[in-house]
Amino acid sequence: MTAPKELIVDLTVNLGPLRLAHPLINASGTLDLFDAAESLDPTMLVEPPVAAYVPKTVTLQPRGGNEPPRILETAGGMLNSIGLPNRGIESFVEEDLPRLLALPCPLILSVGGFGAEEYGQLAARLRRALDALQPGWVTRIGLELNVSCPNVHSGCISIGTDPAETRAAVAGARGAWPGLLVVKLTPNIGDIVPVARAAVEAGAGALALVNTFKGLALDRVTLRPFLGGVTGGLSGPAIKPLALRFVHEVAQEIDVPLVGMGGVASVRDVLDFLACGATVVAVGAAGFRDPWLPARLATELAAELRGRGWSLRDVVGRAHR
Amino acid sequence: MYVVRLFVPGWRPGCPGQFALLQREPSAVFLPRAFSLHGQAPDEVSFLISPLGAGTEELVEVETGDVVWVLGPLGRGFPLDSLAPASRGRLVIVAGGAGVAPFPLLIESLATLDAIPPPTVVVLGFRDAIQAECLETFTAPVAALRARGGDVRLDVICEDGSLGRVGMVTDLLADELRSGDVVAACGAQAMCEAVWQICRQRACPAWFSLEAGMACGVGSCQGCVISMADGSLARVCREGPVFAGEAAFGGRGHPCAAPRSRA
Repeated sequence: MTAPKELIVDLTVNLGPLRLAHPLINASGTLDLFDAAESLDPTMLVEPPVAAYVPKTVTLQPRGGNEPPRILETAGGMLNSIGLPNRGIESFVEEDLPRLLALPCPLILSVGGFGAEEYGQLAARLRRALDALQPGWVTRIGLELNVSCPNVHSGCISIGTDPAETRAAVAGARGAWPGLLVVKLTPNIGDIVPVARAAVEAGAGALALVNTFKGLALDRVTLRPFLGGVTGGLSGPAIKPLALRFVHEVAQEIDVPLVGMGGVASVRDVLDFLACGATVVAVGAAGFRDPWLPARLATELAAELRGRGWSLRDVVGRAHR
Repeated sequence: MYVVRLFVPGWRPGCPGQFALLQREPSAVFLPRAFSLHGQAPDEVSFLISPLGAGTEELVEVETGDVVWVLGPLGRGFPLDSLAPASRGRLVIVAGGAGVAPFPLLIESLATLDAIPPPTVVVLGFRDAIQAECLETFTAPVAALRARGGDVRLDVICEDGSLGRVGMVTDLLADELRSGDVVAACGAQAMCEAVWQICRQRACPAWFSLEAGMACGVGSCQGCVISMADGSLARVCREGPVFAGEAAFGGRGHPCAAPRSRA
């Protein structure tokens, strides 16, 4: 029996060549699907709680990450100074890529470089591996260029604060990568539009915004910086209005699909990011508490739209109309 | 300290030393808090919680009908096979303050082993007699172990002398521990390091339940790493929270060391 027509809400969205069952994904570095599945529920690998899975950023060389302590709860959110620990691209290709490809959803792989040229090298290595492992992958796999990690002290964030560096990084990846390129932008910048424009002109098919806001917290006893990395990236509900402003601003200036994120914890937040112009919405720190949150928000989004008698199209960009 | 008992339909029983993330709904804090499993029954799990801040205060204030977010059981618990050695060495349980939390469940688990439970000595240190009220949570597990023929002895020390001897739990341990014993410990970082020093001197293997600020509890965020003796970093939530003393502390630390702090 089919449901009455008015009860069906179509949540599918296209992010460039990727087709997503709904607009909710995870922010890179906030969900390790394999660790979560092993700890909580193996069926997460069969039915992922995200419409597309974004693994943690991988770099050319292995990285241990920053010294502990790495996280601290703050008012309405948390600071992190993780520092992109990962086993490096070769190990990623050998060990992680096969199991990622076995997931039933689209993937947005994430890479970070310490110079503009590294993005092209990372993209080329992934392309070579994907060509061998999964012909026709272009409709299933995108590449996020993380030019905005606030917790590494060279490359990465400095690239994302400079339009010329961003252009070079994206152009390098563009030459090596035939699929979707998503450039993840930093909010730690006065005017985000020149960087966003440079990314799109160099070949980004989508923009993800925003990464965390650089912040500082002190140890309450010693009054010295609490985090091992001294500064950290602020995430959680505290940053939502700040993030929303960037999405609104970029959507107004640049015609490219946006992945909106920053403090998303409720269906209201999802509606807000969509209305400001995001096509896809990513859950970050709120997913630490509840790794199923993206899927739950998708269900709540359908109910919300049904209640209002709206389609997804009625919401996306509404704040601009 | 308060025992918070939660009705969790379908709770998958965990091992002693495993933990869960808890957060009252609604909550005034952003992140859930990690607690050792303290007691389990069908569809029920309990935790021993000290109100230290907003997140723990709202948890100890829950009343019947309130809703608590529970994620667990998580992490690696105490290796029961190693704690109940065939060699008939003793198991010495060492805990300070809120660090007693995992041990009623551990003692209960020893009572359900197929093997004859090892002779067990429990040394507990508290600030004062009020903090020591949580001792009553040991009564039933200890009785269960004795019913299985287990030989269990409990010894308590308080910093202010209001119950038992005056001093620190490491004073009790120094008197008690002998070569051939196996140790399971939980407490503040400084206590754990001091316990490890005593264990090393007597060549006793030891396992420690350690803690760290945590966000996800499942290994996603890599926020709860601590540095191991070999300089590597380990996630408390996934590789731990129970670590072998040799791996966690190795030759480091000093019996009087303060918690490791950064320069």
